[in-house]
Amino acid sequence: MKTDVCKVILCLAVLMPLAGAASAAGTDNSGCLTCHGKRDIVQKGGERLYLDAGKFASTPHALIGCTSCHDSVTAAHPRDGSRPSKARCKECHAPIQTEYAASLHGSKATCNDCHNPHEVKPAIAVSGEYLNSKCVKCHDKGKTIKSHAKWLTQADLHLDSLPCITCHTGSKNYVINMTIENKKPNDPYGEFKSADYGELSALRPINGDISRLIDKNGDGIISLAELREFNYDARGKGMRLWGMMTPEVLTHTYQINEKCWDCTFCHASGSKAMQTSYVEFPDKNGGVTRVAVEKGAILDILYGTPDFYMLGTTRSTALNIVGALIIAGGMMMPIGHGTLRFLTRKNRKEHES
Amino acid sequence: MKHTEQIYLTPMPVRIWHWLNALGIVTLCVTALQIRFPDYVNVFGTYKAAIRLHNTAGVVVSISYALWLIYYMFVTRTLVKLYVPTLDDIKYGLFRQAFFYFFYYFLGRPNPHHSTPDSKFNPMQKAAYLMIMLVLLPLVVLTGFFLMYIAPLREIFVLVGGIKTLVSAHYLIACCFCAFLFVHIYLATLGHTPFAHFKPMWVGWEEEEVEDGTQEPAHGAGPVLPIHSVGHTAETAETASTGGIHVS
Repeated sequence: MKTDVCKVILCLAVLMPLAGAASAAGTDNSGCLTCHGKRDIVQKGGERLYLDAGKFASTPHALIGCTSCHDSVTAAHPRDGSRPSKARCKECHAPIQTEYAASLHGSKATCNDCHNPHEVKPAIAVSGEYLNSKCVKCHDKGKTIKSHAKWLTQADLHLDSLPCITCHTGSKNYVINMTIENKKPNDPYGEFKSADYGELSALRPINGDISRLIDKNGDGIISLAELREFNYDARGKGMRLWGMMTPEVLTHTYQINEKCWDCTFCHASGSKAMQTSYVEFPDKNGGVTRVAVEKGAILDILYGTPDFYMLGTTRSTALNIVGALIIAGGMMMPIGHGTLRFLTRKNRKEHES
Repeated sequence: MKHTEQIYLTPMPVRIWHWLNALGIVTLCVTALQIRFPDYVNVFGTYKAAIRLHNTAGVVVSISYALWLIYYMFVTRTLVKLYVPTLDDIKYGLFRQAFFYFFYYFLGRPNPHHSTPDSKFNPMQKAAYLMIMLVLLPLVVLTGFFLMYIAPLREIFVLVGGIKTLVSAHYLIACCFCAFLFVHIYLATLGHTPFAHFKPMWVGWEEEEVEDGTQEPAHGAGPVLPIHSVGHTAETAETASTGGIHVS
């Protein structure tokens, strides 16, 4: 309890200056976005000058304001002809930068190659698919599947169900994040792809809140009944839920994670592991908002999520019992019949004689 | 008095299929145990080894099943005759055989069914094997095949109700096969000696007891039907179950 109080005080201490900076920088941001938030600026100086105001507003960087990183900007910008400076990531994120620089990936790509500072979000606010979209910028998906297929069974399925960082960083605390996928109207026979905010809004959720597509009672937790109801309806609407195993605690220690060579790292955790799951709903700005799913239920019960199954981990206890009863039924023949056979052996000898 | 006769009931291709299938099914059952309960069972060292062996055994069983089907459908053309119960089997034979197994057998009465190369199986065997060979085995092979290629066959998963439906069907049918193994092996011990039915599945020749003076009826033309007396024994009247022994 004492630790929790300390954490709250610590968070407040960290966030208060940020909040102050945000309010102070609010006008700064809007001033900059007057020009940099409009597509017209691309014609004047290229794509690098444009930023999506909506996406930027949802980043932690919006809180500290444009001038915190571009501190040499003057009141006469852009008439003064100077190019405002850009802060280096390590000025604020030194520990992460040190960790990253020491990793296999450190010399291959800069922070900006994966993280656009004007769109960056906390890991829990982006989907696994989004995370992987950064990797495929350099690592061709087809080649990646081929290289993994040399040792990994059903490599294509694994790469669809895991963000690369799950195995290639020292991240931990894995949860199942599910996203709503649908068939695109222009490609009804194509693959399922993540549904975006507009598509889900068009389904007219309760109060316009797309999480209410599944969380019908709006209590902030998706129950098994709600999940089952959604799955039942989703079939007819060309939708489904697709799960990815994503770490909640991230590191930048890009590496070949030795523990992942052993399949049982994921597949032998037993039915009690990895029962924490969420449904990720897309927001307007390309991020996601997670809503928790009733613990355990999703992985244990048949038809909870018909398209998500992890061998060895998400086995159904109910089916285990049914299977055991079937096998026990088979064993009753030698046991039951065999016992009676032994007890009545004299009858057969009498008949023979 | 009785004497024993030898009858060629199980041709070599069927014997090869049977033991290949048996090895495959046992391998599948043991590997499946590790695949489903990896936190409790580790027979094959690594999980990957268990999965690869399971997949390989699945392919072997599938191919041997296809060969079995081709053999009975197109080579001997006896699939229907041997495996499909007749109307008489359904009306009377099933009950007669069930009464024998679960009641008359204990009283020492003889088996109502007499095996010949053209009628190897009693009505209960026919019904069980028909269900296993033409319904359950194709289903478990098909679901297993789909589960080996989940990503490319995803559309089919959607059609049949999701991956869990397929996994559950595959698992429950596999449990039925496991249960059948116990029943099958036990019933095979019901010959006139406990191993009387195991030997013919290895050598092809079934040894059966015939009352002296009884002429063995020759039903149609089997693959080979050399019936010859090999001597007299005074064995028990224990009866046929799996291979189709003819006991008078």
